[in-house]
Amino acid sequence: MTATDPRPSGAPSPRRSRRAARRRGSGSRLLGVAAGLLLLSAAVGVQAIRLTPEELSAPLTYVGAKGDTVDAKRFTVRLNSFTAAKAIKMHTKTVSTDNLFLIVDASAKSSLKPYHLGQPVLLTADGRRFDATDRVDQSATLATKWIQPDIWAGGRFFFEVPASVLPEARVIFRLPPELLVEQYPPEVEVDLGLTEEGARKLAATPQDVYSTVEK
Amino acid sequence: MTEPSGGSTDKPRRPVVVPAVALVAIAALGITALLGGLSEATEEPEALGPGAVLDQGLYDTKIVASRVTVEKAESQFDKDKRFVELIFDVTNKGDATMAVGAPVAKPEQAPSRTAFAASLIKITPAFSQEAGPFSFARVKGGESRQLQPGVPNQVVVRYELQPSEQPPEKISFDMSSFVEEEQFLNRIPTWQMDSTEAGDKVLPVIKARVTLPVEKGEAQ
Repeated sequence: MTATDPRPSGAPSPRRSRRAARRRGSGSRLLGVAAGLLLLSAAVGVQAIRLTPEELSAPLTYVGAKGDTVDAKRFTVRLNSFTAAKAIKMHTKTVSTDNLFLIVDASAKSSLKPYHLGQPVLLTADGRRFDATDRVDQSATLATKWIQPDIWAGGRFFFEVPASVLPEARVIFRLPPELLVEQYPPEVEVDLGLTEEGARKLAATPQDVYSTVEK
Repeated sequence: MTEPSGGSTDKPRRPVVVPAVALVAIAALGITALLGGLSEATEEPEALGPGAVLDQGLYDTKIVASRVTVEKAESQFDKDKRFVELIFDVTNKGDATMAVGAPVAKPEQAPSRTAFAASLIKITPAFSQEAGPFSFARVKGGESRQLQPGVPNQVVVRYELQPSEQPPEKISFDMSSFVEEEQFLNRIPTWQMDSTEAGDKVLPVIKARVTLPVEKGEAQ
């Protein structure tokens, strides 16, 4: 900036030659001002892309669509399909709902060592996060299976949600929470690809009873 | 203000307005100080009864009622169980699933919690340890420990009665509320129970004092 500092105009200039030199350099001075402004706006721009506290503590998200094999480095998840039901039949009981059960069929494998997946979260278009329901036994979900290196393990997860949150909903798979909070834990976010139309169709034709009992 | 600048009169006028204003200001300051300063006056908790609605910040809560219910024996070796229930209609206004939770034994245990039932404080009369509390959301005949965001739920907090035990005439308890505050470590706004420091303890701020008559209820 100091290079482009204009001299106070009122200051007397004793030498004519210098004034002439300055006039000749007005083009380069303009260039200097432009460069200064550019640097200044770049600095402001860099400030604007600084991560917010939310982003700093957010997990590392690997994004995909239904049917994609999404590699989160530590584990890999593929959301195969999903369906809706009004009731879920388990070994000992059947649970029903006034909302909808969303049943997500997924497969997973790990990269280096065995893991369990945690219960997933349904992230809605308006930013609400629905935990997988606790009304279906954990033992009926993929969370109880070991996810081994290079061996695909398949299973289901269950959500209980109002039909209105289905459009643009995404499912987030992650490892179970640990005592020691880890910076940037990996997670997989899968877009269900539900439009308004698709969500309405899904909600209008749920299965009456979905059975978790293996045949 | 003090003296007319124009033509001088023979008698110089005294400056009146400035001392008067100063006096009024000092008096106002003194009165304010005497009344306890400008900090927000502590609100008296509301006294609430059956059917009352309370905005707890994180939860929209309707205090429905307290009643005695009977759970029929499932087999001939079982006995009927009687419970005193506190019933609430709760909607989670946050962005994420919250736990139903349970009332805590001592008020100072409450402020670290965000579960709904932790906001029920000092439930009197006190029940024995074995009696409960059991708490859950009643969903279409089933039970859940979750309060999904934006979904209204009926929450039941209940204590089991001994076979010969008479239910109390009424149950009273305090309710606290929740505020969204930035966390000290990572500056992320997080829901926390509204609490104050009292001596070396942190106690929840009481938003409402609730008294519910216990409806004896017909055997179901």
